[in-house]
Amino acid sequence: MKSVEGIKQVSEVSWEIPPSFKQGMKVPARIYASKTLLENMDSGVFDQVTNVACLPGIVRCAYAMADAHWGYGFPIGGVAAFDTEKGVISPGGVGFDVNCGMRLIRTNLRVSEVRPRIKELVDLIYTLVPVGVGARSAQGFAESQIGDITSLGVRWCAEHDLAWDDDPEHVEEGGCIKGADIGKVSREAIKRGINQFGTLGSGNHYLEIQVVDPERFLDPELAKQFGIVHDDQVMVMIHCGSRGFGHQICTDYLRNFESGMRRFGIQVRDRDLACLPFSSKEGKDYYSAMVCAANYAFVNRQIIVNKVREAFQRTFHKEAEALDMHLIYDVCHNIAKVERHSYDGSSMDVVVHRKGATRSFGPGHPDVPKPYKSIGQPVIIGGSMETGSYLLVGTQKAMEETFGSTAHGSGRTMSRTAAKRSVRGSELQERMLQHGIYVKAATMDGLAEEAGMAYKDISQVVETMHRAGISKKVVALRPIGNIKG
Amino acid sequence: MPVKFLPDVALADVAYEATASSLQVLFEECARGLTEVMVDPKTVRAREKRTLRVSSEDTDRLLYDFLTELIILKDTDSILFKSYSVKLGKDGKSLVCAASGEVIDRERHDLRNDAKAVTMHLFGIRQEGMTWKATIVLDI
Repeated sequence: MKSVEGIKQVSEVSWEIPPSFKQGMKVPARIYASKTLLENMDSGVFDQVTNVACLPGIVRCAYAMADAHWGYGFPIGGVAAFDTEKGVISPGGVGFDVNCGMRLIRTNLRVSEVRPRIKELVDLIYTLVPVGVGARSAQGFAESQIGDITSLGVRWCAEHDLAWDDDPEHVEEGGCIKGADIGKVSREAIKRGINQFGTLGSGNHYLEIQVVDPERFLDPELAKQFGIVHDDQVMVMIHCGSRGFGHQICTDYLRNFESGMRRFGIQVRDRDLACLPFSSKEGKDYYSAMVCAANYAFVNRQIIVNKVREAFQRTFHKEAEALDMHLIYDVCHNIAKVERHSYDGSSMDVVVHRKGATRSFGPGHPDVPKPYKSIGQPVIIGGSMETGSYLLVGTQKAMEETFGSTAHGSGRTMSRTAAKRSVRGSELQERMLQHGIYVKAATMDGLAEEAGMAYKDISQVVETMHRAGISKKVVALRPIGNIKG
Repeated sequence: MPVKFLPDVALADVAYEATASSLQVLFEECARGLTEVMVDPKTVRAREKRTLRVSSEDTDRLLYDFLTELIILKDTDSILFKSYSVKLGKDGKSLVCAASGEVIDRERHDLRNDAKAVTMHLFGIRQEGMTWKATIVLDI
């Protein structure tokens, strides 16, 4: 057990650090973890989640989910909600890759149909979706269009024949978060972003062909609601964000916020926790720019999906509609949003920061799209490229306990350098092929850095969140083909 | 070794420490470190020259803005540089850099990680005796 003064167990898989732990803590810090995950959690998480608990206007708790690890200012896997009047907004609570997120589409193909053509399919997607350093868009959007695109998000795509009719409703916030203002975005961000629509990026971003794991087809009845009816059905998962557009917006505002904090007399325990009142002009400006980046990311993933549909059509000689390639869902996991939540007996708007955390709204919530209203919002948790991923659903308990939030992935435990020292990219590629996963990577170094051993066991993370009752397991997905940025 | 990578800092990202005998050279080493993160510099030719002019409110910020400018150019002009010659203004608040490199060639360049941004984590310039040092943590 980590030696954290005063930490107490509040349930089988949740722990609380009281405000007496650190001077300035306004609320407790809540950590979701099994005993094993807690013992292995890096100590930076405890320091950072308690630093977040000191921020002005935070309500109820600062949270670290089961996948938490050290991040800039906020831990990755961190959630915090702030009063819209007395509270703050923090670019460090969102992250550089604004609306980095996950998108899952289904097919009606079975693994026996796809595996013989997996190399052809993955190689074709690799030619259609630009990946890695310096990847440029083939879309050819003009700078004059970026205001409309980032204001309307996936709705813009639908209006321009870049989305199916039912795509927008299967995206968090309908693929269009309100409040975007391109006037609050720098020229540099626009220049970085305009040529990157439809690109995957690098780092831990990936595009994966997956199959439902027959041994972990956990809730077939719930799975049916997502059109998942076979225990060997093929899916496609995409993990990426807002590219240079979002990165530059975060850079710009982090810089502005540092000087702004002096004016507002705000002191924070870590430079990366720079924050300003949400109600201030600067706070509102960041929010408007950040929303532009969030909508950019929705469009980015939409364009990639279009390319994936095209690749399946060309490989299997059937229309994407005939292959039932509908979007199951698209979730953000680096975001700040104004949401209405109930706490302390009243219902209030709060600014929920989810940094490496996923929205997990339960059944009946007005923001859960109609097809999923009775079962809860789909939650997509991406694992390492060797170990697979999970589809879950949100719960009412998440609404009550965590401002409707859960984990986002497996969480890194090994540095990039250490991973490269442990395995060579070419060896890993060969090993994965032997395990039935065909990988196409932009770089062999980048591949080695993302080896499964560099991450926590995703099943432990998912099991923890399931036992905590703040999301519910539906199916596990294992990779058969992977494109690594 | 002018640039030393720090594997135990920022697990998901890349950190390095640059060391130099002068502030001017320190800026050049920090820029070379950034290049090393993104590409094997041996595979980049000096085919295109650019002159970068950057100014900021202090020397720390100048380094931050200089590295950010290089990241912006990677995305906007698809250019990666392999060599840098920096001239610092007397007040340490401005610089002119002659940078040489070339447009990204995915066939020929041994590309590595796409640097998203320079972070504030551990960021700063410090002088230790006759040596100048800076720690840079890049978001990947």
